[in-house]
Amino acid sequence: MQRSIVIIGAGPAGMAAAIEAVRRGCRVTVIDEGPRPGGQIYRQPHPALHGEDFAEPSELARKHRLIDGFQAVIDRIDYRAEANVYAVFPNGEIHLAQGDRTEVLRPDAMIIATGVREQAIPFPGWTIPGVMFAGGAQSILKAQRVLPGRNVVVAGCGPLPRVVAAQILRAGGSVAALASLRSLRAMLRYPRSLWCGRDILREGLRYEWTVLRARVPQFTGYVPVRAIGGERLEAVALARIDAEGRIVSGSEREIACDLLAINYGFVANSELAAMTGAEMRRDPVIGGWVAVTDAFGRTSVPGVFVAGDSAGLRGALVAECDGTIVGAAAAVPSTAVDGAALKTNLAATMARRTRHLEFQQAVRATLRLPDGIWRIVTDDTLVCRCENVRFGEIREALESGHRSLNAIKRNVRSGMGWCGGRTCLHAIASLAEAATGQAPAEMMTPRPMARPVPFAAIARQKRAAAE
Amino acid sequence: MPSEFQFTFEGKPVAAREGQSVAAALIAAGERCLRVDEAGNAKGVVCGIGFCWECRCSIDGVPDIRACMTPARPGMIVRRQRGLDGCSDR
Repeated sequence: MQRSIVIIGAGPAGMAAAIEAVRRGCRVTVIDEGPRPGGQIYRQPHPALHGEDFAEPSELARKHRLIDGFQAVIDRIDYRAEANVYAVFPNGEIHLAQGDRTEVLRPDAMIIATGVREQAIPFPGWTIPGVMFAGGAQSILKAQRVLPGRNVVVAGCGPLPRVVAAQILRAGGSVAALASLRSLRAMLRYPRSLWCGRDILREGLRYEWTVLRARVPQFTGYVPVRAIGGERLEAVALARIDAEGRIVSGSEREIACDLLAINYGFVANSELAAMTGAEMRRDPVIGGWVAVTDAFGRTSVPGVFVAGDSAGLRGALVAECDGTIVGAAAAVPSTAVDGAALKTNLAATMARRTRHLEFQQAVRATLRLPDGIWRIVTDDTLVCRCENVRFGEIREALESGHRSLNAIKRNVRSGMGWCGGRTCLHAIASLAEAATGQAPAEMMTPRPMARPVPFAAIARQKRAAAE
Repeated sequence: MPSEFQFTFEGKPVAAREGQSVAAALIAAGERCLRVDEAGNAKGVVCGIGFCWECRCSIDGVPDIRACMTPARPGMIVRRQRGLDGCSDR
């Protein structure tokens, strides 16, 4: 009988997994939140929305090659756009909401390819309208063809803020300041990585050139410590922080802007993997809690696979290789995964993945946060935006001995709001680690609903006939 | 759908293009505050991709709709949601 595979997410990993599983004769369902395939990095604008792309041509070529490959097999896929998985269970059940109804699927295998979201370090005033995630600002530019701000400050660490600054400039915006926690020179300590990632590096240098040519004021070692404004952002205060994360007195400077775009790396969308009961581990640099996986994306739960960034930040090129490998592994009975045939079959893709992964060593060096950075979160800083919980309340909960994210939530409500903790929980884990010397042992228990779903949609539930 | 059209935000006309989200059209129109939360804090678009739920507003009388995930349509009535007020008509 034909093997059934459900893939959650249609970014690089999900699309590549689908292509491979279809090629191997599986019955494939792809569930994706977006209206069109691509995920975040390969996000596609609406076809009627013509305009210029401000990305590098080689980047766009990669994107279109993969999307075209996916489109070529889409007729053989049960492709669910604008659908949300709100629960998965250890028995392999997948509950999804689409439109005004819900549905339960029970495939032979599931591939979780849910990617990452951006990480923030909260600071006073970061709730003021006009403070955005840098990738969010980029999505307004690349998928909506709208300049997210006219006079922009971009801040954070790693490559993304620099790319976003360049793209805003190319789109005709002005960048009032580019603040980087670390210099990208940290990458130079990894020459082998840089050699393996030379194609991506070339794209990065072109973005750097855009920023240099525009003479953007650059502040290395600076972070935003205060946003200023009421109903809209008017300015941001940048300050230099020392190795311990303390603000260097006298270094603060205010810069007028209408958009502050921040990114301090990424957090894995690993809630669904955790819901299956898969064994998890925490590594803040690659996204916080991630499922423990082997080379084939297998988790500790039979039939549950994770591919791409949601298994730990690795970038689009690795994610695409991952998708092919995990798609192949999910397509065969579990006993065949360890066999020599599959390994031989995937040898070239595995070698390519190793090479792209090598470049990630250099990227990760730019994403490592200094331990003291969490000091910029003052007692009156709102940490949980949904429930308006200030750091002072969280600190008091920690001091009274509540050390798990579950206990902190029960006491101060952080993580209980609309976003389900997606915006703040990883920051709270790091804040707890900075305050007590020990990170919480576990993520906040992810439970249904992973996304808000109307009761009416639950009432209209369709269940697949038992197979 | 016409390729360029208008909807209203707080009673004021806002221009949009087919395929744009409500959030993008509002940002293009210079609007930043899409909601005032229960504590009185002004809130706008933050994640741009749907996970933070900060940009939720009232659209055609239905509260808690994410502006960043909702395509703009001609004649749509978008209002700034204030505290729990948006829920009173449910």
